[in-house]
Amino acid sequence: MAKEVMISGCAASAQAAKAAKVEVICSYPIRPYTAVMMELAKLVANGELDAEFIHGEGEHAQLSVVYGASACGARTFTGSSGVGVTYAYEVYSPIAGARLPVQMMIADRTLDPPGDFGSEHTDAFCVRDMGWIMGWAEEPQEAFDNHLINYRVGEDPRIYLPQFVCQDGYFVSHIPGKVVLPDQSQVDEFLPPLKMDHRLDPKKPISHGPQIRPDQGDALELARAMAMNEVPKVAKEAIDDFARIFGRKYSPFVEEYMLDDADLAIFIQGAHAATARAAIQKLRKQGVKIGMAKLRFVRPWPTEAVAEALSKVKAVAVVETQTSYGGATRGGGLMFEVCTSLYDVPKRPLVTSFMAGLGGEVVKVEDFEYMAKHLTKAIQDGKVCKKVHWIGFEPD
Amino acid sequence: MTTAVQTQELAPIKRIRDMPREEYYVPGHRTCAGCGPALQYKLVAKAAGPNTIFVGPTGCMYVANSSYLCTPYAVPWIHAQITNGGAVASGIEAAYQVLIRKGKWEGKLPNVICMAGDGGSVDIGLQAMSAMMYRGHDSLFICYDNEAYANTGIQTSPTTPYGGATTFTPPGKLIPEGKKTFPKDPPQLVIGGHPAVKYVATASIAYPVDLMNKVRKGLNYKGPTFLHIHAPCPKGWKFPEDQTIEIARLAVQTGMFTIYEWENGEYKYQHRPQQYKPVSEYLKLMGRFAHLQPEHVQKMQAFVDAKLKAPGMPVEIPIPPPRDFEAMDLGEGTGTARH
Repeated sequence: MAKEVMISGCAASAQAAKAAKVEVICSYPIRPYTAVMMELAKLVANGELDAEFIHGEGEHAQLSVVYGASACGARTFTGSSGVGVTYAYEVYSPIAGARLPVQMMIADRTLDPPGDFGSEHTDAFCVRDMGWIMGWAEEPQEAFDNHLINYRVGEDPRIYLPQFVCQDGYFVSHIPGKVVLPDQSQVDEFLPPLKMDHRLDPKKPISHGPQIRPDQGDALELARAMAMNEVPKVAKEAIDDFARIFGRKYSPFVEEYMLDDADLAIFIQGAHAATARAAIQKLRKQGVKIGMAKLRFVRPWPTEAVAEALSKVKAVAVVETQTSYGGATRGGGLMFEVCTSLYDVPKRPLVTSFMAGLGGEVVKVEDFEYMAKHLTKAIQDGKVCKKVHWIGFEPD
Repeated sequence: MTTAVQTQELAPIKRIRDMPREEYYVPGHRTCAGCGPALQYKLVAKAAGPNTIFVGPTGCMYVANSSYLCTPYAVPWIHAQITNGGAVASGIEAAYQVLIRKGKWEGKLPNVICMAGDGGSVDIGLQAMSAMMYRGHDSLFICYDNEAYANTGIQTSPTTPYGGATTFTPPGKLIPEGKKTFPKDPPQLVIGGHPAVKYVATASIAYPVDLMNKVRKGLNYKGPTFLHIHAPCPKGWKFPEDQTIEIARLAVQTGMFTIYEWENGEYKYQHRPQQYKPVSEYLKLMGRFAHLQPEHVQKMQAFVDAKLKAPGMPVEIPIPPPRDFEAMDLGEGTGTARH
């Protein structure tokens, strides 16, 4: 029987891994994600989950162990945070290129220096172009659900791609929220066992990852790109099926909140969307026509869904919780793709960005009010005054 | 419902003509003529048999072997990064443990062999190798040692001998001996700090039956095992490609490489010469040592002499007494530079 519990995002991720009956887990401690491994270690020690629990000697090893295990056809789970995510960098491309549906939970943490436990999305953004599916959860329930949805999509024979299932450190990973733990029969109906023809099996020998000549490279890169291109279709099927079985319906790629009649839009991903909702409700009471577009997948980037959502409004505030030093807008990384998505829209909205939540700083209701003020002024002026605002560091 | 995991039992090979006929490392590779590592690969694969999975960290045996669409492996093989052979092998072993236990794969636990070069074993791959040994995975880690990063153009590795010329240790006016440091000792690194390991051995392609039996013994042990296999490289060491076996044998006969087993804490020696030949007999055959002056050769001899007296080597050998080279006046231009 399904039951409702109050658990943190990390505990929700561990429960999702258990529900998915993962077979090989590889751990290494780093805050804040490490709580998911503490939960899983207990589940394995108590016999509640039959899995190999391997203590990796670092994040690079974590990804390497699950690479080997996934290549044998085992369902795998690993995770990390902050500099742990970047320490494993070498292994992300081999996993995606080998088309192994490894799953990695990331609970964001600011990169060094200085040492900072706070949530910032830069860690995961560093690895967004490695050929993995990637997206953020707003709260523990969505984190739980995203794990199951991602296994289903990544293990689909049309896809076979690894997945980063991200949640903000502390804001999601350590703050309990209501989570409905489904009945195992629901999970089994939604998520069939992993089947892979390209697995390492002495009964059917194959060579995995041989050397190629440069002239053979482009075709293989295209094959990887095409697999990623198939994700939206497969994800939509999976999310529809998820709604049928579990009764929770997600907008597959971009969740629109009070956008239909809005002039202003907050474009955001992850935990701070919860505060944005509260701010939007408050602003609406004051007569400000504002809504939100919440990004659920960063990879593959939902170009059409972003364009459709944001072309409804006159001005957009992109909330950047990561850095792209020296990038085209001198701010964060979401702007590039938001602007690219809107380039061909007939009635393009004004777009600016706000650096917010960096280093794990809380993004407050007032910060969203500040964004709304700037968007309103931009509409009056017919242009944005600048492309990047650093929240809390500006005179007005 | 769980299924017990069964393991394989490979019988010893008595004579060379009792070797299995079947090959699992077959034509399709493009290694150099006289390649020692390719020969040991063939012997290892033959000894291990069909129920085997190879992990191939980057190195000569990846780059020169595994060309797309014509790899030489007749058993499953997967590339690993040069950094992570031990970790990938760990994941494969763990996957088969759980898949067999859950009834998702039927058969005896496959041999999992990580075939790593010296760099992939005891330099950049050391951490992953050590962790595999520590965690007790039922798999065999082989360090095929050609004493350099060969496929990248012969750069020094931690097992390149003292005095070896490589493209990163060229002999010059200030550094006449080329390589100044003495090599790491791979099997001793494993023996020294990994209580889960019960079997470590060294082998040479000059003694193929001994090599194959050690592969089988290592695979038969439950838990992690380690083989250090000496595999001369004609290109890197600069000797004619028809002398690979002679060079390998001479390494053993001069004490440059010793062949032994370490089993549950006990040392046993194989192919130990009655009398060791001077290392100069070995060094003079290779271009990589052609620049060495007599004092360098003496220093090398002293190193080998000391190694042959090490714990686990209770042998009496006629050796010249080691000399104090730091205190010696070596004269002008003969290696007094300090770095």
